Amino acid sequence: MSAWLGWLAAIGLAVGLVVGFGVAPREATQGTVQRIMYLHVPAVWVAYVAFTVGLGASIVFLARRRPGADRLAHAACEVGTVFLGVNIATGAIWGKPTWGTWWTWDARLTSVAVVFVMFLAYLLLRGAIEDRERGARYAAVLAIVAALNIPLVHFSVYWWRTLHQPPSLLKAGSSTMPAVIVAALLVNFVALGLLGAYFVARRTRLLAAEEEEALA
Amino acid sequence: MPDNWGYVIGAYGLAVVVFGAYWLRLGRREREVAALAAGRRDRAASAGRETVRSGPRSPRPASSRADAAPPVTRR
Repeated sequence: MSAWLGWLAAIGLAVGLVVGFGVAPREATQGTVQRIMYLHVPAVWVAYVAFTVGLGASIVFLARRRPGADRLAHAACEVGTVFLGVNIATGAIWGKPTWGTWWTWDARLTSVAVVFVMFLAYLLLRGAIEDRERGARYAAVLAIVAALNIPLVHFSVYWWRTLHQPPSLLKAGSSTMPAVIVAALLVNFVALGLLGAYFVARRTRLLAAEEEEALA
Repeated sequence: MPDNWGYVIGAYGLAVVVFGAYWLRLGRREREVAALAAGRRDRAASAGRETVRSGPRSPRPASSRADAAPPVTRR
């Protein structure tokens, strides 16, 4: 299963590169550097999806105490953190030529950094508590609290004055972007989504094997 | 505005490094866990062979052995 997902992700990423660099046009004001968007934006969407899966699985774990739900939550939050790290780093690289700075403490960047640090704390917490059951419970609570910050990240550009632009696609009403750019974004979202699903599947299986080995 | 290809290559290169490192880490950990499981299976199998070779730990009582001497009785 995960091998198929891996191959699909590889093909999707190749198609995404072709669409992002070969099909989508050079943006008129920013030039080629705008193509970072085809990585930066889908990476945060995949992180949002992964954290939402982590949120749901954590709620199921707290309600039913199913080890499978805990493993899924752990894997999804870890993979989401990797994707969010890529999003923040590529945003900084894109910010330097367009804003003139790698980083600024505006509401969007600060709120996304807070979520990133919370999920780093989640991963540290999982490794810090010896008692597996207790660690899983504390981590599930932290995952829920951290994931509930995602709407804050999304709406921060409306609620505060920010250097970061408002959403171009995930907003009410129709998109103002040309269709070809929207298509390139969606293709890359599917490709990175497949990569994220592949990582989550492999990590979940690895967590099961690690637990089995620890109990043996 | 200039194209800034350096930033584009930097961003995509960084993503390749991060995702590649995570992929390699998963593979390395999978091999470690598989090696631990294989080692445990080997130890269990060799312990089983050892038990078969040396026979039961507590010897049977002499009276139950086929070659045991008949009991000596005094009159």
